[in-house]
Amino acid sequence: MRASSWKWQLKFAPYLYISPYFLLFLVFSLYPAFYSVYISFTDWNGSKAKAFIGLENYAALFADSRFWLSLWNSVVIFLLYVPLMLFLALVLASLLNANWMVGKGFFRMALFVPNFVSVVAVSFVFVLIFNTQDGLLNNVLRNIGWIGQPIPWLESPWYARISVALMVLYRWLGYNMLLMLTGLQSIPKDLYEAAYVDGASKVKSFFLITVPLVKRIALFCTVLSTIGTFSLFTEPFILTKGGPLSSTLTPVLMLYSESFEGFHFGYGSAIAVCFFILMMSISFIQMRLFDDKH
Amino acid sequence: MRKKGWSLAVAACMSASLIVSACSNSNPGEAGKSNEGSKPAASSEKVKLVVWIWESAKTGLDLNMDDFKKQYPNIDIEFQLMKSTDLYQKYLVSSNTGDALPDIVALESTNLSQMVQIDSLLDITSRVQPYKDKMNAYKWEDATKDGKIYAMPWDSGPVVMFYRNDIFAKAGLPTDPQEVSQKIRTWEDYYEAAKLIKEKTGVLMYGDSKTNSSNRMFESMMWQRGLWYFDKQGNVTVDSPEVKNVADFLVKMQKEGLVYDARANTDPWGNAIKDGKIATVVGGSWHDAIIETQYSPNDKGKWSVAMMPKWSKDDKYTGANQGGSNMAINKNSKHPEEAWKFIEFMLGKESSQVKMMTKAGLFPALSTAYSDPAINEPSAYFNGQPIRKVYADSLKSTYPLAYGSDFPLANKLMTDVWAQVFLNNAPTDKALKSMADDLRQKTKRK
Repeated sequence: MRASSWKWQLKFAPYLYISPYFLLFLVFSLYPAFYSVYISFTDWNGSKAKAFIGLENYAALFADSRFWLSLWNSVVIFLLYVPLMLFLALVLASLLNANWMVGKGFFRMALFVPNFVSVVAVSFVFVLIFNTQDGLLNNVLRNIGWIGQPIPWLESPWYARISVALMVLYRWLGYNMLLMLTGLQSIPKDLYEAAYVDGASKVKSFFLITVPLVKRIALFCTVLSTIGTFSLFTEPFILTKGGPLSSTLTPVLMLYSESFEGFHFGYGSAIAVCFFILMMSISFIQMRLFDDKH
Repeated sequence: MRKKGWSLAVAACMSASLIVSACSNSNPGEAGKSNEGSKPAASSEKVKLVVWIWESAKTGLDLNMDDFKKQYPNIDIEFQLMKSTDLYQKYLVSSNTGDALPDIVALESTNLSQMVQIDSLLDITSRVQPYKDKMNAYKWEDATKDGKIYAMPWDSGPVVMFYRNDIFAKAGLPTDPQEVSQKIRTWEDYYEAAKLIKEKTGVLMYGDSKTNSSNRMFESMMWQRGLWYFDKQGNVTVDSPEVKNVADFLVKMQKEGLVYDARANTDPWGNAIKDGKIATVVGGSWHDAIIETQYSPNDKGKWSVAMMPKWSKDDKYTGANQGGSNMAINKNSKHPEEAWKFIEFMLGKESSQVKMMTKAGLFPALSTAYSDPAINEPSAYFNGQPIRKVYADSLKSTYPLAYGSDFPLANKLMTDVWAQVFLNNAPTDKALKSMADDLRQKTKRK
């Protein structure tokens, strides 16, 4: 009797222990996700009545130039910061991994700080920095004589994208650096010693040993950054509200504004569903492309 | 072994409680039912009303809370503070789940119609009858759907022109409000004054962003002529030639460099006020507090208030409205009677409204409050001028116009029109036409 109850416990207890997560996941993630798919087939302004309209939302969405623009914006912002961020992250990680570096703990900490500061608070600081009339950035640039006229950081489409990209870069550089650092630390030291014996310079061994061996980590960072860029919300929401001329509109920002400002929940849900499918496909392709076995 | 069994039990309890709490979260309406008030409250029973509101509006109600408690000792009020934009979203969600909370919501006029459309507010048509003629007429428009009224008007935002006397004087313009109103009667006069002020003092006429405009100035100018994004039938009319005239005027002001480039009611804009870089603010009456307390407290005596310019000298309506709020009752509220008592006490009573006007800067929509002596009280900051008198006069000549349920969307799209004009050099008629088409398609209007 005792033995069998012990067995029973051994078999089921683990499931019971992990059940809270799955229950929460079911109630707060899976159910809303499927409900959202259902809503995407309806015309719903938030009141009780939902009208089933089939694929009309999707048809309207594919014809909506703003949706395509939001995807294009994400691609542009991605290209503006991700290559730069990955390179900087790797360089910084290498520096912090080097034996001669002093104050490693401090620099690791300092670079990681943006990750746990509230992004809303940070965004408001960036609004002050990017302010055209008397913002910090324009004042500095003017004082060192780089610019005559103030740069419209948040008022012209390209500068607005650059501003958003800069802010995202600031926020995620430390996180990616930390990931890279773990990658670096898994590279055996004797590889570098062998390269040194063979007469390779520091720069050469960085590009021939470090870069190829952190490729997998870099892939992981890229996938995360892709998803992160397409789902950007807080930064453009506070910096530019998606403007000017929707140049910093991202799919998630559009989803929010259609659903919660326009009360077009069916349309917003259609965006969510398309967005989900798109992200799955992109991640899948990226995994395939970078996978050595294929 | 014993320990194992114990922790198993804990785990089981935890997951069970999670399920329960999760369920009750997804349907708080059910949970609320068991607590209190399943039967109508008797007069001796204490009733608690939950009010959703934002900070600046609550400040007004606080002034009257002592009197309210004296008259209704059995009604407890709990204020739940949030940003107005969050309020609409939250209310939408809770009304959908049949939640009885909140009992009362404060709603800005700009978003009222949108909230009326979702059928979650209580029909108060019969209750507001005594106030139909006492409130500013235009306030009812957005509160009405299919002939039924769903909200009680609170305050209005009569648009006036705040101006800097010292800068006007330096430019050789009159400073006395009467004379200013005579000198700057039309928008053409306003434009001439802007050129003069820039030439003589280097100061710009007003602040607005080219690519991130809040459209408030443009909307006020439309409103005073009875123009809007939509007409009375709800059709899109923003591509009409009259609207283009208004837009062209503002484009001319911008292109000739007479406007300080900053979105109205943001910090860069407020700093320009503080630094004396802007000569006028054409905006709702609530700007008095923004100028006096928020951005420019040291400029006592430098600001005055006059009527806003109009389109042509013989226009019948001259004033416009900007913003303003209302209060409504949740359809699911368990205490609609008490909720109405609260609203009536706060918004329907002259003494309550006068207090909010004098101490919180909320200019009442209740027009019987305008006969109160407080209307003629001089303002120390505004040059000893009885500024509320100007507001009341402005309201008398305000066109009865509704914001409309798709105003938030139209306002958003309009910002892009300016950006098209200033960044891509698009002609205004083209930019307005494409915005109108967008609006028609998105709202399924004509």
